[in-house]
Amino acid sequence: MRVGQRPRMRLDRRGVEAVPPAAMVAAEPAPRRRVVAEPAYLIFAVAEAEGGRLSRHERQVLGAARRLADPGGGAVVLVAPSLAEDAGAAGADRLLSLAAAERYDLEAATALLAAAAARYSPRHVLFAENEGGGDLARRLAARLGAPFAAGVEALSAREAVCPCRARRAELRLAPPFLLSLAPDRAAPHVGPAHEASPLDPPAAGAVRRGILTAAPLPVTAAEVPLAEAGLVVAAGNGVKDFAGFLRLCSALGATPGASRVVCDAGAMPRAAQVGASGTVLDALAYVAFGIAGAPQHLQGLGRVEHVAAVNTDIHAAMIARAELAIVQDARRVMPALLALLEAGG
Amino acid sequence: MRAVVLLSAGRHPLSARPAPVPVEMQAIALARGLGADVAGLHAGAPDLAVREALGQGMDRVTVLRIGEADDAVAALAAALAADPPDLVLAGNRGRGGEDSGLLPYLLAEALGWPIAANAVALAAAAEGLAVIQARARGARWRLVVAPPAVVTVHPAAPPALPFAYARARRGRIEEQEGRSAPLVPRVAEERPYRPRPRVIGVAGGGSAAERLRAATEVAGGGRVLVDPPPEEAARELLAWLRALGFSRSADE
Repeated sequence: MRVGQRPRMRLDRRGVEAVPPAAMVAAEPAPRRRVVAEPAYLIFAVAEAEGGRLSRHERQVLGAARRLADPGGGAVVLVAPSLAEDAGAAGADRLLSLAAAERYDLEAATALLAAAAARYSPRHVLFAENEGGGDLARRLAARLGAPFAAGVEALSAREAVCPCRARRAELRLAPPFLLSLAPDRAAPHVGPAHEASPLDPPAAGAVRRGILTAAPLPVTAAEVPLAEAGLVVAAGNGVKDFAGFLRLCSALGATPGASRVVCDAGAMPRAAQVGASGTVLDALAYVAFGIAGAPQHLQGLGRVEHVAAVNTDIHAAMIARAELAIVQDARRVMPALLALLEAGG
Repeated sequence: MRAVVLLSAGRHPLSARPAPVPVEMQAIALARGLGADVAGLHAGAPDLAVREALGQGMDRVTVLRIGEADDAVAALAAALAADPPDLVLAGNRGRGGEDSGLLPYLLAEALGWPIAANAVALAAAAEGLAVIQARARGARWRLVVAPPAVVTVHPAAPPALPFAYARARRGRIEEQEGRSAPLVPRVAEERPYRPRPRVIGVAGGGSAAERLRAATEVAGGGRVLVDPPPEEAARELLAWLRALGFSRSADE
């Protein structure tokens, strides 16, 4: 029999008739939101939330913020533009929404963060150490003259560790006011969702204008390096029509990738190869057409969160790895998808 | 147009010998691409890494001599305010010092100039200077800043100019006394770097087998559609992509 809640099998040698313990019989409690009504202190976690969604890195920042907040009864405030998903499940107790207009206005966003920090006086403000979050963190550090730890690799309530001297040394210090967390250094929040109740945003202070205009540039997805791409569509041996495949990629706004077999055959450039001897992806989503999923190929998907696969073989490793697996010939699905996109979805 | 590139005392990550920081050399190439008159500026003791920078497209470097415990920002800000250029370029992270990437921001704050981070290209625009900025996931933003401005350079910028030994010999290093202001020491312990394991999958819960499953498979198993008509398969794929937020790019 199984003993206790843990899913580990143990031998019970007592010889007693196997009666399941009460804890096992009890019904699963209904999912309830954890509420921190009177927080002892606040921890800010700042996210860009590109496309209204928290990235993996930003969920890790929220997880790290929870680790700073939980021991002392603090609350985590997620500072982000309006979200399309549940911030409570990612571990946010409060939600401080930034107006959409401030998305591209870095100086206004800095002023608003400074005003929020002055009004709510959080104990720490956490950022994701990437191009956007790292920039905002340093702007705020310079503006407030506050201590800042960059690219923190280990974080607890007592100490933060960040690399220095060309990564040959590391600094151990008490967590300063501002921190930016390196990717894959903290676990995201698991467990019950938090309430994510809204906080009212503070009135923005004076903004010094030096950046006159800021706007995103349209980037052709085919020109984005594979390692940086957000959506990768890859072709394997099950694909024969590569002109159609590239048309499909540009219609989807995806970066084209390929398996080793296809690159060896010369049908796709070597730079498009995904896998151990090609590029290891950091994409949000990956669609595999006609790829069986050799271990060396699956290594290249190490950090991809969402995988879809189209393959004729239901026992292919790629079908087992995929979140959406379609057992069908890629040569028939690709033209159908292209026709659907050209018809306007 | 006059551009100043901030040079730091870089160290090679493997040998720890003086070596120029690659992203600062890329900054020199960007400034020369603008047709600017480029000079280097370094605060601290004269360093071999700074001399090597002369070989990669610069004729002169000014070294502001300050002590170990002095604030580089104060010395740089005083020198730049005395003779303001149109553009100050820096790497987005140093390599060999504290490597926090904070100095350009503190300098911009001290000078009251705007700062644009992570540039991969620069161009003259009607209202000022156009900066193409690298963002996460290969995205790019176009910022226009009013000079004088501080711009930090991203490693995705075009490669540096090739090293020319004769230029490095010919270049001049001018030494000056820098303004000395004591730096508030940081309460931190410095130790040799220790690589730490990265988080994979969902850590913190379950048995080792569960953590392995979380790291290698999709939690809860995926949906499998067996032999759907191709049209239905296409609709399912598109709906899946839309749910992940790729509708915008699909509409373009």
